[in-house]
Amino acid sequence: MAGTYAADPEWADVSPIELNDGSESGAMPLATIAYPSDYLEATSYLRAVMAANEMSERALKLTKDVISMNPAHYTVWIYRAKILFALDKDLLEELEWLNGVSLKYLKNYQIWHHRQVLISSKKHFPTMPTKEPDFLMEMFTQDSKNYHVWTYRHWLVRHFKLWDSPREIHDVEALIQSDVYNNSAWNHRYMLRFGPRDDQPDAGMINAGDSSVSPEEKGRLTVVDEDLVDAELKFAQKQILRAPENRSSWWYARGVLRAASRGLEEWEEFAGRFVDGEQTKSSHAVEWLADVYAEGEKAKAVKMFTMLKEKYDPIRKNFWDYRIRQMGVVA
Amino acid sequence: MAAPNFNSERHVKYYLRCLKTFLPSAYTSSDSNRMLLAYLTLGGLDVLGVLHSKTTPEERQGYIDWLYHCQVPSGGFRGFPGTDFGDERRTSENEAWDPANIPATFFALVNLLMLGDDLSRVKRKECLEWLPKLQRADGSFGETIGAGGAIEGNRDLRYCCCASGIRYMLRGPYGQGVEEVKDIDVSRLISFIEQCQNYDGGMGESPFRESHSGHTYCAVGSLHFLRRGTDKSRSSPLLCPGSKSFESLVHWLASRQTNKLLGEGDQDELDDDDIEEEEAAAEEEDMIKGEEETPESVVGTQSHRQKERPVDEGHQEVKSTLNSTEDEIRDLSYLTPESSEGTACAGFNGRCNKLADTCYSFWNGAALTMLDRYSVIDDVRNRQYLLGKTQHLVGGFGKGVGDSPDLLHSYFGLVSLAFQGEEGLTRVEPALVATDRTVAHLESLPWWSSTADKVEISEI
Repeated sequence: MAGTYAADPEWADVSPIELNDGSESGAMPLATIAYPSDYLEATSYLRAVMAANEMSERALKLTKDVISMNPAHYTVWIYRAKILFALDKDLLEELEWLNGVSLKYLKNYQIWHHRQVLISSKKHFPTMPTKEPDFLMEMFTQDSKNYHVWTYRHWLVRHFKLWDSPREIHDVEALIQSDVYNNSAWNHRYMLRFGPRDDQPDAGMINAGDSSVSPEEKGRLTVVDEDLVDAELKFAQKQILRAPENRSSWWYARGVLRAASRGLEEWEEFAGRFVDGEQTKSSHAVEWLADVYAEGEKAKAVKMFTMLKEKYDPIRKNFWDYRIRQMGVVA
Repeated sequence: MAAPNFNSERHVKYYLRCLKTFLPSAYTSSDSNRMLLAYLTLGGLDVLGVLHSKTTPEERQGYIDWLYHCQVPSGGFRGFPGTDFGDERRTSENEAWDPANIPATFFALVNLLMLGDDLSRVKRKECLEWLPKLQRADGSFGETIGAGGAIEGNRDLRYCCCASGIRYMLRGPYGQGVEEVKDIDVSRLISFIEQCQNYDGGMGESPFRESHSGHTYCAVGSLHFLRRGTDKSRSSPLLCPGSKSFESLVHWLASRQTNKLLGEGDQDELDDDDIEEEEAAAEEEDMIKGEEETPESVVGTQSHRQKERPVDEGHQEVKSTLNSTEDEIRDLSYLTPESSEGTACAGFNGRCNKLADTCYSFWNGAALTMLDRYSVIDDVRNRQYLLGKTQHLVGGFGKGVGDSPDLLHSYFGLVSLAFQGEEGLTRVEPALVATDRTVAHLESLPWWSSTADKVEISEI
């Protein structure tokens, strides 16, 4: 193999380790790929430096090369991170490079995990790098629902305690403003408002992991800021008016009420205004009423479920029938 | 709409091509997921009922030998042979760069079972000893063990599911022969999974993350494996019909079915030429990342599409802030009831307000199957969607309407149809995502037969 590395004096002292796909010992490889020769060469040098556990500038460069061809390689990133710390490299420079890679490979998870590993270093980043929110917003202009980026942003909030940071709230509002259907943004807002704020590892819905707490109590706040809850409900109503068929905003409201241990009946009047006889301005309002009525006024609940299955949500016909049957069981 | 046909022969051809020829070099960026690609290929042939008739015993033995070639000396499997620098060079300093990988180990074991191997060369004890080392204090699992024993990888339900599956396959219902091996902390794992249930009833990757069908599948899959495994001391309300957790989870899953389809009629509306290119790249990646990455496989441009084709068609935003809420609602128009033509095809999305994609017919359907609530979805509309919209002429399934087939979407399209009893497909167990034949083979292994009370298993 007369490739770039073989011809480079910097690599002259390294004996590359060729790919052993098992065929020499009689195995029949599965999922064989027609590898380009530059990938085969670069990875054979990568195996050699990894075997030597080499922490060097040239190994760092090599990882970059391999990453450009296979960003999903799960150890090359860990190896790279170790070298960066071992050589005490400038991590801001690394972040700059990562920004470009992230924009190029939008769907890659390893990139974001690597970023998290770097920024976790309290020594290098006692506070959040100032450009971080700007870069995340740039990512969101490419894909405002990118799951990896939101996972990272969630981690960032907890790591640097940004729940009440004006920038955090501002960005989430801007994203909901520009696309009210962006469920990722709604979810992030919920985490900012109702997520746990202590130093414990992320504890999920309040009380969720504590087996001594009864299931009904899970997800409920121990201390409720009623003003905050009211403000969030008002916010949800405003967004529902922008797009009455938007499941995200209706479910956000359900989540808010649940966190505050307040019932759905609080919105009976609001939801009722969307519905007039067999007509409705929102299928989610019908669903809301059905859930309110299901607690006592069974006949009215059945009427709502029937409207959904016959007119406004026939795709879920079987589900609405299931809900109707469930009431029968309870009655 | 005419009932579309399921073309078994073409699917078989597609899979044999994937099995017996080189995948194109574009797959290089998925090199690290070869164990998964192998699983999708073998699985497809197994569901089509031809894995053992269209391969020779010599071929199957050769594949089995390759799978063992990917076993790490200290137990567990690597995701691809590319990290292997040779046993003779392996030291405690460098072994972190060639580690066993949790998802790869899960897929390798299922692959071996599909091929009829008896797992006798699996380093069973070592593998089970490795598992608890990957579990964090919060109950979650990592992906690999890094330098100095560090647990690498996200806190993530995908790893929890694969770890539970490995434990299930290798420990069996009695833990026979590995009684002295320290088990994982099942109770903590269940707590972590429960914490991942979100305010809307679905499950996110980790606590408070957005609900996602892939992760929801992983959550239910983990619990499913755990309840069938050795430790039955703690059951989760997530699996108990009637509980709030269970019913809200079913509700969330049922809400994923949609007639808003990825790739249908929206291509022309894109105003940015780059978007299609990105999409193609994303698809390519998505295809190969599979269960490891698929939960996030939603194409990055859907938000653009949705802006251009809002869900609330025909309704204009109410701008004024002066009106009372009451007035504003009065000004809204009534919905037109859904037409039967408009809802004839309905696939599934993976998150709220996203578009249907073939693989989510599987993720949501499999979770509902494990919860014994598959009947809440509309199987006829799902079949119309898969066969009429994403099944490809050359065999296989694409991700969205009109997309070229790829291994991942092809397998999950087939399995979704298998859940619904499509003729020509073998029944599939939803957690291992393997045929009943493969599961029966697992249950015939030595550590599955025991003098212990067998009634218990049949009840589960």
